[in-house]
Amino acid sequence: MAKHRYADALALALGEEMDKDDSVFIIGEEVGQYLGTLQVTKGFLAKYGPNRVVDTPISEVGIIGLGIGSAMAGLRPVCEMMRLDFSLPAYDQIVQHAAKIRYMFGGQFKVPMVIRGPSGVGRQLSAQHSQALEVLFAHIPGLKVVVPATPADAYGLTKAAIRDDNPVVIIEALRMYFEKPEALEAIQPGLSEIPEGDDWIANIGEAKVLREGKDVTLIGYSTMTISCLRAANLLAQEGISAEVIDLRSLLPLDMATPLASIKKTHRAVVVQEQWGMYGIAAEISAQIAERGFYDLDAPVQRVTGAFVPMPYSKALESLAYPHEEDIVVAAKRTLGGK
Amino acid sequence: MARAATAAPPASHATAKNGSGKEADLDIKKLDAKKYLRFYEQMVHIREFEELCDHAFRQGTHGIGGYLHLYSGEEAIAVGIIGAMDVENGDAFIGHYRDHAYALAAGSEPGEVMAEICGKATGCSKGKGGSMHICDAKLGFYGGYGIVGGNVPIALGLAWAIKYRGENRVCACFFGDGSMNQGGFHETLNMAQLYKVPALFVLENNGYAMGTSIERSHANPNLASRVESYAMEYHVINGQNIFEVHEQVAAIVESMRTNPRPVFLEMKTYRYHGHGAADTQVTQSTYRSREEVEDWKTHRDPIRLAEQALMEAEILTEEERERIHTEAVEAAKAALKFSDDSPDPSPDELLTDVYV
Repeated sequence: MAKHRYADALALALGEEMDKDDSVFIIGEEVGQYLGTLQVTKGFLAKYGPNRVVDTPISEVGIIGLGIGSAMAGLRPVCEMMRLDFSLPAYDQIVQHAAKIRYMFGGQFKVPMVIRGPSGVGRQLSAQHSQALEVLFAHIPGLKVVVPATPADAYGLTKAAIRDDNPVVIIEALRMYFEKPEALEAIQPGLSEIPEGDDWIANIGEAKVLREGKDVTLIGYSTMTISCLRAANLLAQEGISAEVIDLRSLLPLDMATPLASIKKTHRAVVVQEQWGMYGIAAEISAQIAERGFYDLDAPVQRVTGAFVPMPYSKALESLAYPHEEDIVVAAKRTLGGK
Repeated sequence: MARAATAAPPASHATAKNGSGKEADLDIKKLDAKKYLRFYEQMVHIREFEELCDHAFRQGTHGIGGYLHLYSGEEAIAVGIIGAMDVENGDAFIGHYRDHAYALAAGSEPGEVMAEICGKATGCSKGKGGSMHICDAKLGFYGGYGIVGGNVPIALGLAWAIKYRGENRVCACFFGDGSMNQGGFHETLNMAQLYKVPALFVLENNGYAMGTSIERSHANPNLASRVESYAMEYHVINGQNIFEVHEQVAAIVESMRTNPRPVFLEMKTYRYHGHGAADTQVTQSTYRSREEVEDWKTHRDPIRLAEQALMEAEILTEEERERIHTEAVEAAKAALKFSDDSPDPSPDELLTDVYV
């Protein structure tokens, strides 16, 4: 299996789907002539031309609206948000239109579009460019929300999202974009590998056990999955066996996989990169309480970011999102530690 | 040429020149008599449909709840423009929440439209959308939308798909004067002109965004001129005159097929009912006078103007006129009966159609 960086996996997936299906096109700010702000679409304009690699003004409402209408008309647009934070002006188009069109017209239309872009904290981009906004999308019926943590899923979930007949938001992990395969392999062997051949794609709505363990279940998604793996390595040094579950998709949400794990470990830590209030970790914890309460030997622990706008200074920023050490502390708490 | 305004826009809505067929340069006798008889008939059917909706809403026993926005007074726009399109062969159109007439003008089944308004299982949207969310995919009607201006960016995408596939189709987008003060409208017009997509932007300027007049909401009340900033071609048309609407728009639509580009139309019109059913005579008195409404009904009613012109041209007889009106009343009643006889959506339908 070939080893890839996350950003290269995204590019590979986009290119393959464009090669395969003429109705797929990419639209966004600086995706063409500028070669993509993060170079994901480097070379695409030259290869596919301006009809399929569409540079736009800084007009997110127009970009998403164009995506919705063209999807209703049978195309498969991939709308790139330079950062997912920039989707907020178009939140009305996403929530009030893309998500609802199928239902409110009684199933007469489908909206097979993708909204994708880098998301998350930790690059000193400060308050307006460092948000993890998946909560705002995962709350909305009619949307699908996927959260790839690994190069394999950056590839497989992007391909699956493009082929899906529903609007899918891909929350891309900015901090993972340029992680070198060697660095990922050092965390866990195989972490940078993408299955080859047979047109493999990921199934949207399936969580995955990334590391097996027996003492405690660490549940993460996106960059926090990687932090959970690092935490598992630290815990192993202390003789604690942690199972790591990568949610991969928030909507639909696979709870069967974490619940099965908790049946085995009897302990759970749920990790979310940013604000815990009314968040993803809260939802997971509530479902564990409702459906797995009698399997638990300790209260579910949440590890979430500080409830503040993201500060700029590295010294402060680092305090505002969870690190593997925080996950270790929470895991020990479920095992009776302090 | 980027700019091709065919008419000097009137200084303000109140002074808009809204003549009958006689005042225009059109010789009715030279036009397609059959077609205009059909348009006249469609307008009468839409009027009777809308008036029965109003009646049924106030009766309160047919299932109509929520909002109900009626098109009475504006019929010549939907009929004349959709009548200029080839909806069975790929032309597309999209509307806002005052949307019953678009479906009816395209040829949707009136019973299914009424059943949707009444929330029945047989409604075009299975009773899940209601009055604001009528649609008909097979006729290229991509639906009515409840958010002011929200449908305009979607029209950009419908038109983009036409361009992407290299088809000689057009997409019409209907919206009101309120939409022009939404940001997405301006993003859309800029992009439409930038990409030269075949989108026909149809402003139904009925003078009021809910209860707020043009003068109270637009710094520049000459609305069509606002698209000059996008270097977009625009035309100002008397929306009360079916002959002027259709002849001008048909020519524009045909030219868009051979020369794909966005075109903006300002249709001068008026709505007889309140903004929605909840906008009563009392609330309407906060923003417009009964005399103003009556003046439009008396002097600029699209059905009356068409009737006069067609009769003077000896295309429509008194006998025909009576038959059409009688049939329209009966058709509306039959639509309501179809709805009344239809079941509510089954509980199983609650959770379907969220995802494909």
